[in-house]
Amino acid sequence: MAVLECRGLTVRYGDVVALDSVDVSVAPGETVAVLGPSGSGKSTLLYAIAGFADLDAGEISVAGVEVASTRTAAPPEERAIGFVFQNYALWPHLTAEETVAYPLLRSGMGRAQAHEEAHRLLDSVGIAELARRKPAELSGGQQQRVGLARALARSAKLFLLDEPTAHLDAALRTAVQEEIATRTSAGSAGVVYATHDAVEALAAADRVVVLRQGRVVQVGSPVDIYERPVDRWTATLTGAVSVIEADLETEATRTVARFGSLRVAVHGAAPTGSHGELLIRPEWIVVGDTDAPSGVIKGEVGARWFRGPHTDYEVTTPVGVFTARVTGAPQFEIGERIGLTMTRAWLPPG
Amino acid sequence: MIRRRVGEWTLVAAVFGALGALVVVPLTELAAVAAEQFPLDAAVISREVVRNTIGVGLVTAMLATLLGVGAAVLTERVVVAGRRWLRLAVLLPVLIPPFVVAMSWLRAYGPSGLIDDLVGLGFDAVLGPIGVVMVISVNAMPLAYLVCATALNTRARHDLELAARSSGASPLTMVRTITVPLLAPALLGAAALVFVLAINSFGVPAVLGTPASFDVATTQIYGDLALSAQPEAFSRAVLLATGLVMVALVFAAGAEGLLGRRRVEATAGQLLPFRHSTVSRSWIAIVAWGVAVAVVLLPLVVLILVSITRGVGVPPTPANWTLQHFREALDGRLLAALARSGLLAAVAATAAVALGGAVAAIGKRRLRGVAAVLVLLTFAVPGSTLAVAMLLSYAPTLRDTLLLILLAYLAKLWAVGHRTVAGSASNLAPDLVRAARSSGAGRVATMRTIVLPLLRPALVGGWLLVFVIAFHELTMSSLLYGPGTDTLAVAVLNLQQLGDVPVSSALAVLLTVPLLVVALPLLVLGQLPRRLLGTG
Repeated sequence: MAVLECRGLTVRYGDVVALDSVDVSVAPGETVAVLGPSGSGKSTLLYAIAGFADLDAGEISVAGVEVASTRTAAPPEERAIGFVFQNYALWPHLTAEETVAYPLLRSGMGRAQAHEEAHRLLDSVGIAELARRKPAELSGGQQQRVGLARALARSAKLFLLDEPTAHLDAALRTAVQEEIATRTSAGSAGVVYATHDAVEALAAADRVVVLRQGRVVQVGSPVDIYERPVDRWTATLTGAVSVIEADLETEATRTVARFGSLRVAVHGAAPTGSHGELLIRPEWIVVGDTDAPSGVIKGEVGARWFRGPHTDYEVTTPVGVFTARVTGAPQFEIGERIGLTMTRAWLPPG
Repeated sequence: MIRRRVGEWTLVAAVFGALGALVVVPLTELAAVAAEQFPLDAAVISREVVRNTIGVGLVTAMLATLLGVGAAVLTERVVVAGRRWLRLAVLLPVLIPPFVVAMSWLRAYGPSGLIDDLVGLGFDAVLGPIGVVMVISVNAMPLAYLVCATALNTRARHDLELAARSSGASPLTMVRTITVPLLAPALLGAAALVFVLAINSFGVPAVLGTPASFDVATTQIYGDLALSAQPEAFSRAVLLATGLVMVALVFAAGAEGLLGRRRVEATAGQLLPFRHSTVSRSWIAIVAWGVAVAVVLLPLVVLILVSITRGVGVPPTPANWTLQHFREALDGRLLAALARSGLLAAVAATAAVALGGAVAAIGKRRLRGVAAVLVLLTFAVPGSTLAVAMLLSYAPTLRDTLLLILLAYLAKLWAVGHRTVAGSASNLAPDLVRAARSSGAGRVATMRTIVLPLLRPALVGGWLLVFVIAFHELTMSSLLYGPGTDTLAVAVLNLQQLGDVPVSSALAVLLTVPLLVVALPLLVLGQLPRRLLGTG
């Protein structure tokens, strides 16, 4: 049984449609990332699930129990949900331990036991020694961990994380993700987390839901979202991409794009004509010099960016402008002529 | 901050010179005179007056804070539709002089008020302690409201409440464990501020208390200084003024301590608007509007009706309307009072903003802090006390001059000018000035092209605010005016005490409505609340 089932969620703020018929489901133990730019409706989706915003249409079930529809709405405290707030939302008058003990006390646990459990949770997120501090005495990362421990203190079937790792450094990010992972797989809880960071979404989630202006534009595995984006906008959201117009041909069961004598296998939708707009990831492009055997696209390096593990080049060719990626330090100069081939290309539907 | 080395010491000398003349000299003189009187006969002060003053202060503090917190919860948490207008209605009393509200209540609800005339329902209690407390509460409510609304948005932020709900707290538990503990300092602070405002209030007890033989410290001081020539009356006024300032300063300092605490740090990211359950809240809005209409709008309309109706007891129908009372009100003598009020207010506003800017412009941090504290303390000094102190220090040379009144206004309102300018100046990132300098602008050019344009809204807002307060000022003016220096507010009070209902109503309308029309757009645009809060 799904730990979260949302059907046709619509939320309006006045005239603004924040969510438009959104469907999302989460299986036990699954982590779903909601990916979208700011203003796409990520936070509103989490607010609706948590019970902070009412539905104008649709329904929400948590662990098989309907918690919200247009007719009824369970109050937030009666939903089996742990929430990690984007801006921490720590109570300034309570210490870290009191904060984490708070949900335990609400669930009817005795004071001594609640504080003991709170201490254990703070220990599990690595800040047991800060238990007696108030939020003003904690750094941003420490505050985030208190907020996380508070959410974990709820015996929840579903955890909602609003930009959970946005303020964490890389090492802590990994630790937090592991902590969530151990708890979710143990308790078969699900996780939904909203983020605008594609790298994080692709790395951490089992499934990614892409939101744009309140609508779901794509749902899929991280590999789906990256390699088979539904359109150019979604492709750009998850990384660099070259958009190239090409002539298409059908060869037996497959489609190929022709660039002079170069033929490239095209994945994706069946072409609707002899022409198409291809999406090509930088690492699908192979860079060589112009003396290479026939079948290269010749172009000139217009700009380059050294990024540490690899170097990106902007290459202007007669068929379009490519972004190509080559492992290691820069090896081509700006203005130098180079030749490109590619291993594959993606033709988005529609 | 703006730093200027050239002329820095001139600036410091000017600011502290003004502080000496406006604050230190008068209050020292008062203390000296009080010390002379004190060992003689503290018993001249009646226990009843002390009891009345403290009682009005305490009851008003509770009532106004309750009203303020209720209104704040309504506008910040519950009512979504028409929120802006409700805020406006709650803040409206700020723009009406308290004694005009008192007069309007008397005309509307009092014995032989309009409602008594029309439907035979008049309340004797409007005259006396109940009326005094209720009207001061109405006037103090915006202050309590602003403090509470700010605290709801900055301390008991809504996401903190949501975090409690999603931690399993019911709405009641949330209020008990999160909202109230976070709001407590603000509530106490607001109550302390209202207490100070209430014991300093003069106009309302003068209109509603004195006729019912209900006297408080301020009306006693007025009676002793303005209406009595006995030597012990003078001693009593000095002692009352001294006692009043001591109580006021203690409570004001307490409020500053409670409200000046470090705010919760501003957080990254914006909060989404929270939408409550779809249950209709319209009845709450209707109740809120009912209260707003009953305590402010209806009495004001009645006051206007009385001012344009032929005579007392005549139904206020269009057939009986006339402008005759306004013609009487605007005869030569009262027109001169109107002109004096306008002139005084304009000069006071200009000078208070300039003096406020001067304090903010002091480069030395510590000196600036000392000046700011002195200016703020003076703001907490009751108007009655300040007026007595001014009389003691300057009456020998400045008696019956407008300058005497102006000095009192400046002492009192310097803080308002300072808060508005300083608040805005401290938001001015030093890098903006540095950027101008490194772009080749000199000190003066930077001031002209960067600093002043950025401060302009604060300067204009501060000027208007000081103008409104000065134009409406009654407490000090009524003690300091002499032949040929009475202001419009004093004229209204005198006519009211003479029992000239229609003409005093017309004058009160003249005192209130034109400024209301000017300042209302500011309230609607949300500028004034922040300014007022700055003066908290």
